[in-house]
Amino acid sequence: MEGPRTVAKEHPGEFLEALEEVTRGITDPVAKLRFIRSYLPEYRQVDRVVQKVPFRPARRMLYRWAGLEGLRQLMKRHGLASPADLTVGTRLSVAFGRAVTAVVALIVVGAMTGLSTFAYRYWRSRALPVTVAAEPAPPAPAPAPVLAPLVIPAGVAPAAVWLVEHGEGFEQYSNGLRIDTRHAVPGEPRKFHVFDRATGLVPVIHDRPAGILFHTSESDVWPLEEGFNDNLRLSSVQLLRWVKRHKLYHYLIDRFGRVYRVVEEESKANHAGHSVWAQGDRIHLNLNHSFLGVSFETRWEGGRALPITQAQFAAGRNLSDWLRGRWEIPAEMCVAHGLTSVNPKKHLIGHHLDWARGFPFEAFGLPDQYQLLPPSVELFGFAHDDDFLKVLGEPWAGVREAERALAREAARRGQTVDEVRRERQGLYDRWLTEQSRAETATAARDDPAASRKPGGVRGGA
Amino acid sequence: MDERKDHLWKVAQEVEERIDDLEKTGAHPMGCDVGTSKVVAARQKSRNIETGSQLNAFIPVPWSRFTENILGQNQIAYYRDDDELVIYGTATEKFANMFNANVRRPMADGLLNAKEKLALPVLEAILQTLIPKARAQGEILAFSVPAAIEGKDPELTYHEATLRRYFEGQGYKAVAINEGLAVIFSELEDQNFTGIGISCGGGMCNVTLAYLSIPSIMFSIPRGGDYIDQAVGAVVNEHATRVKVHKEEGLDLSRPPRDKFEKALHIYYEDLVEELVDALRKNLSHAEKLPKSDRALTIVLSGGTAKPKGFKELFDKTLKGGASLPIEISGVRMASDPLTATARGALIAALYEK
Repeated sequence: MEGPRTVAKEHPGEFLEALEEVTRGITDPVAKLRFIRSYLPEYRQVDRVVQKVPFRPARRMLYRWAGLEGLRQLMKRHGLASPADLTVGTRLSVAFGRAVTAVVALIVVGAMTGLSTFAYRYWRSRALPVTVAAEPAPPAPAPAPVLAPLVIPAGVAPAAVWLVEHGEGFEQYSNGLRIDTRHAVPGEPRKFHVFDRATGLVPVIHDRPAGILFHTSESDVWPLEEGFNDNLRLSSVQLLRWVKRHKLYHYLIDRFGRVYRVVEEESKANHAGHSVWAQGDRIHLNLNHSFLGVSFETRWEGGRALPITQAQFAAGRNLSDWLRGRWEIPAEMCVAHGLTSVNPKKHLIGHHLDWARGFPFEAFGLPDQYQLLPPSVELFGFAHDDDFLKVLGEPWAGVREAERALAREAARRGQTVDEVRRERQGLYDRWLTEQSRAETATAARDDPAASRKPGGVRGGA
Repeated sequence: MDERKDHLWKVAQEVEERIDDLEKTGAHPMGCDVGTSKVVAARQKSRNIETGSQLNAFIPVPWSRFTENILGQNQIAYYRDDDELVIYGTATEKFANMFNANVRRPMADGLLNAKEKLALPVLEAILQTLIPKARAQGEILAFSVPAAIEGKDPELTYHEATLRRYFEGQGYKAVAINEGLAVIFSELEDQNFTGIGISCGGGMCNVTLAYLSIPSIMFSIPRGGDYIDQAVGAVVNEHATRVKVHKEEGLDLSRPPRDKFEKALHIYYEDLVEELVDALRKNLSHAEKLPKSDRALTIVLSGGTAKPKGFKELFDKTLKGGASLPIEISGVRMASDPLTATARGALIAALYEK
């Protein structure tokens, strides 16, 4: 195990004291080790500047500030430590250091602006008047309108989402998210392959969730009125029991916005079935393993109105923010079940249609996935049938755009659209078979019976 | 026959430190101290560290259906090798005492035992009881390796490569960590991983001086608990295994010896500590670059050989008795748990690499 080679040279005592002041506030040994080993290589640069400061207290302050700033940067960039790994004092110090940095930056910017303004005025006062009029310049293009976000967060938002506290049966996060963990059950360990658009199956097994899939439970829904309180509660309890027994989703959000962890995040849940989604050239088939399933207790009802309560909306957004942060899930990998679900035998999209319209992506801080070309259509040539149209009336915009792309491709090749579709559907069938084989091979590798020692019989402990 | 069966039952009851949890839950980064005497595995559970250990030893017994049944019923780790049953792990020592025989070791002097034909299969079997297969390909596992001993570089390379290959075969990304540095990681967090970590194991003693987690001096001496056991065994005419049991059953180096056993143990412990302190003095004096620090360094002692009562005091006395060191020492202390310090440090290294 190698590490950085730099160590303090000129004023090791001052440096060490300042470093100790920072590290004293890091309670987790791994986080402390990461900080020290990340900070040491930067020390030489910091030291070059600090050495020029003649006063010892100022040098110490600068060392400490640099340490805190380094800690903050590492927390931000690399998830150096969870906030739980730092003492309150250190967290406050980091925030204070950040404030000082901001104030200094403002002062510097202000000074630079002042200087620039002064220089410009000075230059103008000395410039000769223009005697010949120039050609009138063409009018500048109008600036692109800045779209206001649909949801303007009111009040103070936390700088990051962190675990505030946890106890028996709950976890409380800094953005208000509270997870009921009493019903959490482990499942089959997550293991999945992805496909590369050009080369096919990538022989690497992944175990971190790659995305979030939003569902609706399609269960009994009662009016959100006090008179139905017992029915509302009973429905949630029964649904939770069902979801737990069949390990259907990682999270369930009931009508009162209560978030239940059902299947542990490290495990797969049976939520996606046959499904397809992509992130650039990385194609995911059958998203049970690769995506976290978040289900709202409600019925989708065609998506003509937002089918969730305000409490569910807020809880869903907070949960999505936390999961995205925790697992570093990119926004384009947060999608609704209805946009991914396929029928593999008939090569049709929309096998399940929950959230195939009306998911509030923008309000969740996510791109409008309805505009994206679904890989099921674009890459695999899947079609839709009358049943699909009966529910939706019109496919979402991305489907139409993908179909136009297929038509262009067919025209370019001098083939019919059906021929192009069949060819691409064949690719899906092959990849599905390859995925199945890879899963079987992985399962065989993990089978303890396969680890018998040659020449002997293992027994006992 | 009945009596023998009784013995076997007793052995089963006395098997310590079951590691079922480690086997079942799997996954997550792991730390492993592959020592001459013991193999210790550590992994994180919530915010705590959980450890499991096995004796790194084995004893073959003749195969019979009855014996095999008894071993199986009592969940004693074994495998069959032709006409022998190879009993390995923690139960081995009890069997050795029962049959008045010496245990055999897959490792000697901190490295794979080249003279032992069953070294590799037994070590793998022992590791299997502690380290589950990686749940995800590329899970990090850090394992301890000793510092190089002059003239033993090829053996060390072979030892490290063999272990790495085994762990990688289990799906891990294996990272080797120096044993003394692992002790510093687990025990000197409060000193910002600055100080001297010493691990006194069965085959050797490993020493590392690190400044802010960066090792600057690493060395080992090829003597440890086994040397004491064999030397004492030779002078009192006993099996080394029996000496080891005696040593671990409450040897107190701080009080005068009560019998010939203890007298011999005292003599050879003093011999070992003197050699260790001499080597420390020599390595520090000859070091080309010592870290510039105006702080006194802490020495932390760990490992099974450092466990007897009075070892710290003996080390302290020997350290103060000779010529002064080129660096200031603030104090000597024992690791919070000497037997698991290296494995816990290796786990920190694995979590760091994650």
